[in-house]
Amino acid sequence: MRRLLTITLILCLAAPARPASQAVVLVVRADSPVRELDSVSVRKLFLGLPVLINGSPLHPLRNRSDALLDEIFLQQIVAMSQSNYDRQILIGVNRQGWLRPTEYHRLSDLVDALKADSSSVSFMWQRDVGHNADIRVIRVLWGD
Amino acid sequence: MRISHLLLASTLLCSHLARGDPWQYELLLMPSAQAVGTFHRQAPVTEIVDEVVQIDTLFTVQRGPFKLFGEFLLSDHEGDLERFQLGWQATQDTVVWIGRYHQPTSVWNHDHHHGQYLQTSITRPFVDEWEDLGGILPQHFTGMLIESGHKAFGSWRLRTAVAGGLAPIITPQGLEPFDLLHPDSRHHQVGFQGSVSLHPGELTESGFGLLAATDELPAIGLTAPPLPGLDHADLKLLGAFGIYAAAEWKILATWYHARANLCSPVSSTGENFGVGYVEAERRLPHDLTGFLRWESSADAGESIYLKLFPMFVRQRNVLGLRWDFVSHQALTLQLSDTNTLDGHFSDIRLQWSAAFL
Repeated sequence: MRRLLTITLILCLAAPARPASQAVVLVVRADSPVRELDSVSVRKLFLGLPVLINGSPLHPLRNRSDALLDEIFLQQIVAMSQSNYDRQILIGVNRQGWLRPTEYHRLSDLVDALKADSSSVSFMWQRDVGHNADIRVIRVLWGD
Repeated sequence: MRISHLLLASTLLCSHLARGDPWQYELLLMPSAQAVGTFHRQAPVTEIVDEVVQIDTLFTVQRGPFKLFGEFLLSDHEGDLERFQLGWQATQDTVVWIGRYHQPTSVWNHDHHHGQYLQTSITRPFVDEWEDLGGILPQHFTGMLIESGHKAFGSWRLRTAVAGGLAPIITPQGLEPFDLLHPDSRHHQVGFQGSVSLHPGELTESGFGLLAATDELPAIGLTAPPLPGLDHADLKLLGAFGIYAAAEWKILATWYHARANLCSPVSSTGENFGVGYVEAERRLPHDLTGFLRWESSADAGESIYLKLFPMFVRQRNVLGLRWDFVSHQALTLQLSDTNTLDGHFSDIRLQWSAAFL
């Protein structure tokens, strides 16, 4: 009986104290020509710099559907504060006519835009990809 | 056919080559308002305008690797299509532009262009001043510009820009660039510019480089030229620059060595002069940024070419403070002490500037 209690206690301590782990993934349309994208290219893409695949520029879609995603975007993807990011975007438009990433505040709108353009690239929670056959995961950008 | 119409037609033509790619647009507005007070005035010419209200509008229309990019500046004293370029993103690191561009040997102008919000100080160094504000070097050209970047020495980045296009002419009002909206190319000659720079990373502003340009500037309609019968000036520039940009500090320095040959039908005379500046900017608490700039020149007093530009600044000290009081809006206060070829003056400026994307 004492042994059983000890095992139960150990199992309780080892059990997760928070919800299942989360991950943010880089996604494209299922038939996108994008096969892989390193972190430097992802950063350039979301800073508005041209990133070309087969001679055509990719189109970054910024997912702003929740505040935590915004935080992960700034810390992990572009690695700068919101004010520095805003300034970088302004500089790109002013110097080179670069386009800033299109922003989506609703996940359904983002998914629709992703499905409509094979050159688009975005990021979302892995759980939001689910079993959507129209979306392909390129890589994990962040996981807790 | 006007060049602006030609560029529009080319954009539509190029768009067929990017079938399947969506049309994309961007619009950036950068308004600003400035008041200037001049004191200790002992120079015959100081400022062209004492108040400036302006709005700088940038627009991009892009489809696939082709884009049409423009900058239109509307102010209380001018309205001008400053840049109008058709661009082709040839590779990830190379873009080819045709149209009206800002020449790449001016580091300041190539970085800041006309929008006031993106430059910390209110005024630009006089060596980089625009032609219609008394500037001494050609800034706007119409032709082709190719900008490129390559990996070099491991993680360093080599950036190059080469360009060739119609250069400004010298008129009684100063340098006058080729105007896309009222084109008249009769007197304009082709000038060439190039810059090469090394940077420790792809996304950093820090770096250093060399600049070179050669321009033939015809003199048109001068009633009292400094050289009798002046026909044109051959201007050759060699320069070097360095930028250190960190979280709290930014330091920018540029120096140009100029060789000017002034030619008349009966004689020509050659001369050398130098112009440059150092600017230091320091980020402070409470969204404040302090800045200092020292502008100087060498052998300017003996230059006949510089006598064509009565507002030329021989030496200037600039001191100021910028406050980014809300997102995308700033107030700037600036004090300057200026020596021209003919005198001296001081001024104080207050500016509001903003950017709306």
